[in-house]
Amino acid sequence: MKIDADVIVIGAGAGGPVVAKELGESGINVLVLEAGPWYGNKKWPEPNKNRGVAKESSDPGDLDGSLYRQQITRLENDMDDLVSGKFRWGAADRRRAPWYRNVPDRSLLWQSSGIGGGTLHYYANSLRAFPEAIDNEWPINYDDLVPYYEKVEATLPVEFAPTTTKEALFYYGAEKAGFSLNKTLDVTTSGYRPQPNAILPPNEHLMDPNYSMEEISHMEGCTLSGHCGQGCPYGPTLEKMAKRSTTVSYVPLAMKTGNVSFRPNTFVTKVLTEFNASGNQRATGVRIRDTWTGEMEELRANVVVMAGGVIETPRLWLNSDLPYNPWVGRGLTNHYFDLITGTFDEETLMEVVGSRTTNPFVGHTSGARLDYPGLGMIENIGESPGLSAMQVFGFSQFGYNSLHHDGSDMWDQRGRLVGSELANAMEGYSRTLTLSAITDDEVAFHNRVELDPHIQDEHGAVPRVHYEPTKKSKERREQLNKIATDILQQAGANSVHRADMPANYYIHLQSTMRMGHVVDPSCEAYQVERLYVADNSADNNSLGGPNPTLTTQALAARTAELLAAKYF
Amino acid sequence: MHASFQALTDALVPSVQEANGFPYTDMGVHDYIIYALDHYVSVQQQLHHFTIPLSYPTAIMLDAAATQLVMTHQAQAYSQSLFPGGRMFSCLSREDRIRTLSALENLEVDLYLLPSPFQNNAGMVKHVTDALNRFSMFGYYSEWSAYGSTRLCPPEDRCLEWFPLSWQQVGYPGVSLGYRDFRGFLITMAEVKT
Repeated sequence: MKIDADVIVIGAGAGGPVVAKELGESGINVLVLEAGPWYGNKKWPEPNKNRGVAKESSDPGDLDGSLYRQQITRLENDMDDLVSGKFRWGAADRRRAPWYRNVPDRSLLWQSSGIGGGTLHYYANSLRAFPEAIDNEWPINYDDLVPYYEKVEATLPVEFAPTTTKEALFYYGAEKAGFSLNKTLDVTTSGYRPQPNAILPPNEHLMDPNYSMEEISHMEGCTLSGHCGQGCPYGPTLEKMAKRSTTVSYVPLAMKTGNVSFRPNTFVTKVLTEFNASGNQRATGVRIRDTWTGEMEELRANVVVMAGGVIETPRLWLNSDLPYNPWVGRGLTNHYFDLITGTFDEETLMEVVGSRTTNPFVGHTSGARLDYPGLGMIENIGESPGLSAMQVFGFSQFGYNSLHHDGSDMWDQRGRLVGSELANAMEGYSRTLTLSAITDDEVAFHNRVELDPHIQDEHGAVPRVHYEPTKKSKERREQLNKIATDILQQAGANSVHRADMPANYYIHLQSTMRMGHVVDPSCEAYQVERLYVADNSADNNSLGGPNPTLTTQALAARTAELLAAKYF
Repeated sequence: MHASFQALTDALVPSVQEANGFPYTDMGVHDYIIYALDHYVSVQQQLHHFTIPLSYPTAIMLDAAATQLVMTHQAQAYSQSLFPGGRMFSCLSREDRIRTLSALENLEVDLYLLPSPFQNNAGMVKHVTDALNRFSMFGYYSEWSAYGSTRLCPPEDRCLEWFPLSWQQVGYPGVSLGYRDFRGFLITMAEVKT
């Protein structure tokens, strides 16, 4: 049978481009299919307006940093509106509705389409797992991952976040709350440290007034501009942009091998299989649908890698009628978390950090963290006003602060704020420090992605997502909330607000195609030969708490190596 | 229908005085909510790809829930709507409107009396009621209102006409090229690896 590529990779998010680059370097021919648009590629100068003339791009000369800068506007509504933003989960054509996922509860699910996937939007937090969450839990050991962590850290590259005012305040509070600096990448004890982020260190001239900010924004290195979640187009060329989304790191590297093509605007609706002579089912290709024209095609390959994310990968498995496995879509873990916000007065801030404001919008959006093996972690977050108001004061399982009395003296306010209460809280925005208390979420069979029995979209049955944290996860969140509150109070916060987020706030989803249950230790499906998984869904658990992207990328590098050795 | 969403944003977001020529004090955010609800869910049925407009049934849901609260003496209605053309939800005080939202998200209403697709559909009721809050706040505190006369155009055709008033209110300088706030590194990779 004629093949279209040696390997087809489904999804160009955090993991897919890593597989593509590694295989490309080994001389293996790869086609990467991505459902969303491509920003920063000259073949699609208006990627949200029309389908362009090309179908795919493999020439690094197509990549254009100034086009990327023009498209990534860094405006929070333009980029991050969940209905019509450029980083939404939906087709390139933003006049259309996003792709529907049924989450029948108070919910907010961050998922991005586009070359770069979730890394377009992410804060670039690039953490290793807690060793204790891998050893004796996963079918592989932490030591098996370390060489791949090192490789990805060097390639992206990863560096500890620089300190700005909000980080300085966080470290001060954490120190006063009794924690000490943890100088490590391999965390075994609790302590605070800067986030290891996939963001280039600030340019050496950043503090030199002889260079204008305009000049500096065209030079290599982070400008501390904030709004990391709205995309980062600062740097001399596309592949030197400060925030290391895969679209500016692994995608260009993959293209440079001369063996990799990327095809945007292409939604995979089915994995094709056949039975070989010995009766084993094997992947042979995919069925795709063009998101602009609706045209469908079948593409063939020797190996297929699923990297469409924790929702879409199990959905695709189920919509492809692949063999029954009780764990497909099951064991979903989430970064079940809460947001605690301290507002400070000017005098305190002057005393502690020598500034009248924290200006949360300055610097890496999340630059400081506290690791707490056994519970999870606490990270600072400095979002723009719209995203801040929505998440901190607009989303709560507690309901409205004005209708309830908390009954606890730990928080001055809890839940949603409205009207003048909201106006007062937001007036203090430039003097806030917001901490996210993120649990080490326990795996539970009942948490799942499944097919909705009643609703279809143009790609088949839509995913329905169900998540209810376990008792242990809930207890962990409460403990982390207390620690986060203490850090803010120790730092001198004047008032503290607790969002009390609903459980169905989905970030950093993991483990719906768990290693040891659905995929083997090389990330190949137990039941379908030549079918691999290279996204967060292959994780056996939630890593003890740390953000999953680096682990997915390390696993993807490892999977590429094992896949190449087995089949090529 | 517009009156219901004006009543909603009037209860949820801060009021501003006449701003940039907007006739209402929510900077037009009720229009943002209507747009978001009408572009939120799309499905495929045979040949047809539908986007299901949710704003109209949502407005009816707010009025139906408000009526239930008034009938059970949990809320008191003014004799006429505070917003031209409005029905029961817009006849309530701000606090009672919040109470209505709270009753909906806690399912303390007769779900049979709600319009389709909300009728006996608790997940949808909770999801959309919650989204009304999120949309209001994101609409108000993001740059959306500053798209001015283009704010309801398809996203590709919008352009900023002024600096967002809400950003001015909270002291956010907007999109930035960078800040000179580098205070050094606490630790570096080189240090950790040696």
